[in-house]
Amino acid sequence: MEKLDRLGWAAGITFSAYGLRIGIRVNNAEVLEQLLGLLPPGWKPSAAAVVDRLYSLISGGTGPRPTVRRFNLLYADAVRLMRTLDLAEVFTLLESHLQLYVAEAARRRLFVHAGVVAWRGQAVVIPGRSFSGKTSLVEKLVQAGATYYSDEYAVFDARGRVHPFPRPLSIRDETGRLLKKCPAQALGGTIGVKPLPVGLIIVSEYRRGSRWRPQILSPGQATLALLAHTVSARRQPQFAFATLPQVVSPALALKGVRGEAQELVDMLLNDYGNWPNRGLSSTDNGKDLRGDRTDATARTTRWASGATISR
Amino acid sequence: MRPHARHAGLVVQQLADETLAYDLERHRAYCLNRTAALVWQHCDGRTTLTEMATLLEAAEQTPVDEEVIWLALEQLRRARLLQEPVPWPVAERRYSRREMMRKVSLVAGITVLLPLVSSIVAPVTAQATTCVKSSDCSHCIGVGLPCCTPHNTNCVRVTHGCSCA
Repeated sequence: MEKLDRLGWAAGITFSAYGLRIGIRVNNAEVLEQLLGLLPPGWKPSAAAVVDRLYSLISGGTGPRPTVRRFNLLYADAVRLMRTLDLAEVFTLLESHLQLYVAEAARRRLFVHAGVVAWRGQAVVIPGRSFSGKTSLVEKLVQAGATYYSDEYAVFDARGRVHPFPRPLSIRDETGRLLKKCPAQALGGTIGVKPLPVGLIIVSEYRRGSRWRPQILSPGQATLALLAHTVSARRQPQFAFATLPQVVSPALALKGVRGEAQELVDMLLNDYGNWPNRGLSSTDNGKDLRGDRTDATARTTRWASGATISR
Repeated sequence: MRPHARHAGLVVQQLADETLAYDLERHRAYCLNRTAALVWQHCDGRTTLTEMATLLEAAEQTPVDEEVIWLALEQLRRARLLQEPVPWPVAERRYSRREMMRKVSLVAGITVLLPLVSSIVAPVTAQATTCVKSSDCSHCIGVGLPCCTPHNTNCVRVTHGCSCA
């Protein structure tokens, strides 16, 4: 680290995001401006002299001769993350590293790998692994008029509300390869601002030709389904166990295999009136919900025919 | 026979009808449904299996066979939520949850909530984020992003092409 510190640093920025203080220093001031677009959503400049994590970016640029190019180097504290000739690759890694660090170490917020949109004052949360089809569902929901919150993380507070993490959608092509970053506005959508209670949790996986016949998850099973995608599950299980039941208590959680995203989106949004909104506040957590769940099954029958309560 | 629940190294959260437990050593999370939770609650080293069945009968207001308690204990044992495993009686036939469901329905004509312990393995950080397949990375697609496998690697350029390192 001392060797790094001795290098000539031309510019730097300190910012805070989700209770963490992060610094980035660069040896070329022009590069810093390009980095601002990579910072986690909701970042704020900070005057802190001490940071939790310091990134150091050495941009190589052109060498002494036209045929010579210098490597770009990226460090997180004293650990070298990348050495490459392509500065764009450093930007990609820095952006993903920043997001992951914030998601894992955030204070008072729980990050779950999930897509999130809002529909008439309630959030729809779609947890899942990479390649499970989260972004496809979010994309179609936004195109259908839902408000965009995130295609990467559902950010929950201790009351179980979800906050926006509106980075541009990472849309893949049919082969699953990363194709392009697409702002929600380009899909005709708007970006959410306020934290919202969760109305619906969809645990689904895409399978070509499948029909959506979901199973209703109990609050405990819905909590496990979210925990399976919680970034800091191993680091802070107590906080996860305290927060996730607050998330699921007012929500209906459905699990199943789905076919095309558009088909599911049509069913969800066209039958909005049948969404089983139990209207419970987070303080109702101790209430016996079994009756409500049975009622929920009846009301979802039209668009989720064959739904069963999981016991 | 007086089974004893394990509490050391666990984070426990009670829900309305269910109980959640997180094993800090194995990083596994469990969800005990109402019946399994009731049985686990009474695994205090003092309550016998017969007493448990009576307690469960009172809670559910329906007759409960002692085999339901055995089924719960078997699932709790597999989840390592008991201090010591409770051996299934040799004379008794060991039933699966599905067989038990069928048996109880036929005999009693009703369906009691059979015990169920569901579990997941808590993800490592890299499993809960967007990642690139190593096959894509080898074609230099997604350079700079985390690789799905192996964990804690990023797709980076190497001498000839790209790889997860």
